[in-house]
Amino acid sequence: MATVSFRAAQSSNKRKTFLLLGAMGALTWLVLLSIFSYLGTSSAAIVPFAVGLTLISVWASYYGSDKLVLTMTGAKQIQESDNPKLFGLIQEITIASGLPMPKVAIVEDSAPNAFATGRNPEHALIAFTTGILDAMDRDQLQGVIAHEMAHVGNRDTLVSAVAATTAGAIALISDMLMRMMWFGGGRRDRDSNGNPIMLVVSLIVLILAPIAAVMLKSAISRKRESLADATAVAFTRNPAGLRSALEVLAADSTVVHQKSTAVAHIWIESPLDGSSVSKMFASHPPIQERIATLRAMESLN
Amino acid sequence: MKTTLIIGGIAVLLIIFFVAQYNRLIRLNVAVDEAFAQIEVQLKRRADLIPNLVETVKGYAKHEQSTFDAVITARAKATTATSVADVSAADGMMTQALRGLLAVAEAYPDLKASANFMSLQEELSTTENKVAFSRQFYNDNVRLLNTAVKTIPTNFFAGFAKVDEREFYEVDEATNRNAPNVSF
Repeated sequence: MATVSFRAAQSSNKRKTFLLLGAMGALTWLVLLSIFSYLGTSSAAIVPFAVGLTLISVWASYYGSDKLVLTMTGAKQIQESDNPKLFGLIQEITIASGLPMPKVAIVEDSAPNAFATGRNPEHALIAFTTGILDAMDRDQLQGVIAHEMAHVGNRDTLVSAVAATTAGAIALISDMLMRMMWFGGGRRDRDSNGNPIMLVVSLIVLILAPIAAVMLKSAISRKRESLADATAVAFTRNPAGLRSALEVLAADSTVVHQKSTAVAHIWIESPLDGSSVSKMFASHPPIQERIATLRAMESLN
Repeated sequence: MKTTLIIGGIAVLLIIFFVAQYNRLIRLNVAVDEAFAQIEVQLKRRADLIPNLVETVKGYAKHEQSTFDAVITARAKATTATSVADVSAADGMMTQALRGLLAVAEAYPDLKASANFMSLQEELSTTENKVAFSRQFYNDNVRLLNTAVKTIPTNFFAGFAKVDEREFYEVDEATNRNAPNVSF
């Protein structure tokens, strides 16, 4: 790891997110170009349709994320009197970060994990499993809370909504085109200039685009995780707390009982990324890598 | 006709630019004020915990009058301080006195085991962290403001906006780093 100071790590991860979002834009443009060259401009009508469809579905889940995720994960919102110690810890981080107090929820699950959601810092919700509250000491829990509040402060629900919209729209467009080709027997618009090489290239682009989009989406998610780790250190100035919390998570093999894979990416430790999942598609960086980065930050202090 | 449009456009852009710089400085300055107010809120919270804490410790350890006095004096100082330097000095003194008090408590197992003391201790450690984080947040904001006051282009507007560099909140490092020496 070249970047050790949390400030350097923060700006490098932010820069990489912008690059990846830029790459996502370029991919969308490439897909559009391929459609036009393959089917001609008359097929352009499917583009606003696909974008609109994904936008509606993603936007609805983004806007109502704090409430939706509660039902999807089975989290129960709690008040300060239910767990004054946890609220005290969260208040510490709101003071360190200058963010408003989020809603707090508990998931009855013995696997240690936590997540943050909400469309903006004013509608943020952070949730913890009962397992993580039992397994961690004060400093570790503070690191976890700082990581979740970092997601809130960095507006990662918005970033992942943008990534999900683009990836979803690309998947939908290429899926529809594939079906059109299959059933419609190829090009309908015969006036489009048929350069055969261009057509083959377009076809390959359309086949590969959805995979590339999912890979980009995962890469963005991984960068946001690294950014949240760095921002958490900016809040607590104590990399050791989050590092030892991640070590607890790494040592623990139990996995949150997920009702849905749709919300897998929001947890601090991914419930899906086992060894069977390729690194290219993982929503989180490898936990050992995150621990190593934090350890490098510790050596600075 | 065309040139007047261009000149007018440039003028509008310049005004927008000036307003943005001016507002940025004012915003940063207000953020520092807010952050300092947060330190005072947290110090007050800590001061409010003290009578309760002293009473609880007294119940078990009657003969530690000098430690109690140190805490009470520090508390009185902390409640009257206003300037950044005074507040931070009183803050340092209080931190020291409280450590002394908690070190005394170490010697009384009955006290340490009492539920009342344990909940006070948890409340005290979260309050200590809140004080520390509010200091850190204040210093972060001062750093942003001071950088803006010193760097181009905001430095040209600092005088006009009547915004100046602000003082960092420094706790006396030497006393803070050493754990208190307790002799029995």
